Amino acid sequence: MSAPTAELVVIGDDASIAPKSSTAQPAQDRTPIRRVGARKVLVAVLCAVVVLVVLAPIIWAILTSVKNEVQAVTYPPVFWPDPFSVSAFKRVLTGQNFLVELFNSVLYSFSSVAVALLVGAPAGYAAARLSFKGKDAIMLVILATSMIPTVALLVPIYGLLDRFALVNSAIALITIEAARIAPQTVWFIQAFVKTVPSEIDRAAEIDGASRLRIFVSVVLPLIKPGLAAVFILGLITVWNDYLTVAVFAPDATRRTLQVAIVNQVLDSNGISWSYMMAFVLVASAPVVLMFLATQRWFVSGLLAGGVKG
Amino acid sequence: MAWLWFAPVLVLLMVVMVYPTASLVWMSLHEMKFFQTTKFVGLQNYKDVISSDGFSDLVSVSFMFVGGTLVLALTIGLGTALLVQSLGKRTAGAVRTILLLPWTLSMTVVGCLWLWLLNPSYGPVKYAMSKLGMESGLMLGNPDAALPLVIIAAAWWSFPYAMVLVAAALQSVPKELYNAVDIDGGAGIHRFRYVTWPHVAPTLGSTGLALAITYFTLVSLIIVMTGGGPLGATTTFSFAIFKETVQSVDISPAAVISMIILFANIVLGVIYKFVAAKAHHAS
Repeated sequence: MSAPTAELVVIGDDASIAPKSSTAQPAQDRTPIRRVGARKVLVAVLCAVVVLVVLAPIIWAILTSVKNEVQAVTYPPVFWPDPFSVSAFKRVLTGQNFLVELFNSVLYSFSSVAVALLVGAPAGYAAARLSFKGKDAIMLVILATSMIPTVALLVPIYGLLDRFALVNSAIALITIEAARIAPQTVWFIQAFVKTVPSEIDRAAEIDGASRLRIFVSVVLPLIKPGLAAVFILGLITVWNDYLTVAVFAPDATRRTLQVAIVNQVLDSNGISWSYMMAFVLVASAPVVLMFLATQRWFVSGLLAGGVKG
Repeated sequence: MAWLWFAPVLVLLMVVMVYPTASLVWMSLHEMKFFQTTKFVGLQNYKDVISSDGFSDLVSVSFMFVGGTLVLALTIGLGTALLVQSLGKRTAGAVRTILLLPWTLSMTVVGCLWLWLLNPSYGPVKYAMSKLGMESGLMLGNPDAALPLVIIAAAWWSFPYAMVLVAAALQSVPKELYNAVDIDGGAGIHRFRYVTWPHVAPTLGSTGLALAITYFTLVSLIIVMTGGGPLGATTTFSFAIFKETVQSVDISPAAVISMIILFANIVLGVIYKFVAAKAHHAS
């Protein structure tokens, strides 16, 4: 997890990466139209190649997931599935532990983001609006903790959990995941609150509203897109996490889909590739769909400094 | 009473981050049996770890992994940002969305996808290489090839992050500057060298640092693709901690390596804060 920048740059939707007219127009003045056309074709072809290369691993996974088990491992590889088979997906969805793993993934990610927002949002508001002695010190602590990677704390946190018999505790796990995303939540909310004119707060104050009331009923509704961005980035971070769950909650009943994936890779019986690819696609589908539905917030989140890790 | 607003988040961070960090420091100065401290040994653990046989390999693998992935991801990120920028409005949005897909996947999933692509018996990469008359060999099982292949997978996963940030920086370049280059008779390369580059370089710097932190602490991808092997060829600091935490009786070496990671991260993080602030002023 990196230190997020407090400043927020919101990229618009498609309009944001609009072609800079400057790249094409001045050239047009000097060069024949034919060359501009050739350049456009070149860019289009190059783009198509890049898109194809980047998508290739995902396309290959999809193709493998709908092959039968024998065809998945023929050499030379067969490109198109024949016969087309959904048996791998059936096996994934009806798997012995699948529902438990899915439930845990959902439980951990939603709960920890909720906790992070609950504790982080008031702090983010206060960071943007209040000034008092010691605030800088508090912000420094929050910034410093955002620089502590989970992997460095595996040993001491495990020791702590072990001492209080909290290894395999869902509540402990949710608390740890919430703490991982809490610093970025504070920075985000702070940045979004700063975009709301403080005159609005003052007007509500004159009307006799308390600080808490102003925060909950006036400011929070105004930063809904910001809350959505925090929510989505947090959800994806926790959903995709393997390390925390694998080390602190190794019990089979506590596993998430991510942990199940790694266990299959390490399974000494070997890997069934069409099953594996189907599993990977099912485990990724929720975050990919969420990303597609909310990509504008996702991008603004990235720009605001929400690096996962 | 203003600090009350911060109380909940501070309690959470104290319990999960600050206290464990303090206890990590404490552990690293003791001889340990599982999670019990047995004897205070001062800096002896540090001396042992740094002078151990594997330490220099750990350092070189970590640096090659972080450096190699950075170079690859930043280059592809910059290239794709420039490419997408020169597209029409609608296509640019769609292409950007597609190219962002890898970044939404978990490292576990990314590892699986590449493990399958690079399968030494049935994989499409082996097939493509044999068509080109090349010997693919054991791929991830080959000590010389494993690290570069893991680097490719890590760069595939993370270049979209660089792309998005560079694309945002590109938007901030004043068009007039390009016109000025054109009036002076500059070619495309001059536009890049004198206008684009100065505007994106600070962003590349801060993005690079953020990514370096991510790469430095990345574990799951390595677990899935190579398990740190073959022959330790892909064992980074972070992977070593994971392995030691799970397997060892004496966890003080893991505590020492954790301290190294922690220290490196804080240094990188502080530099990041400065560079990011500078990058912001520049744009």
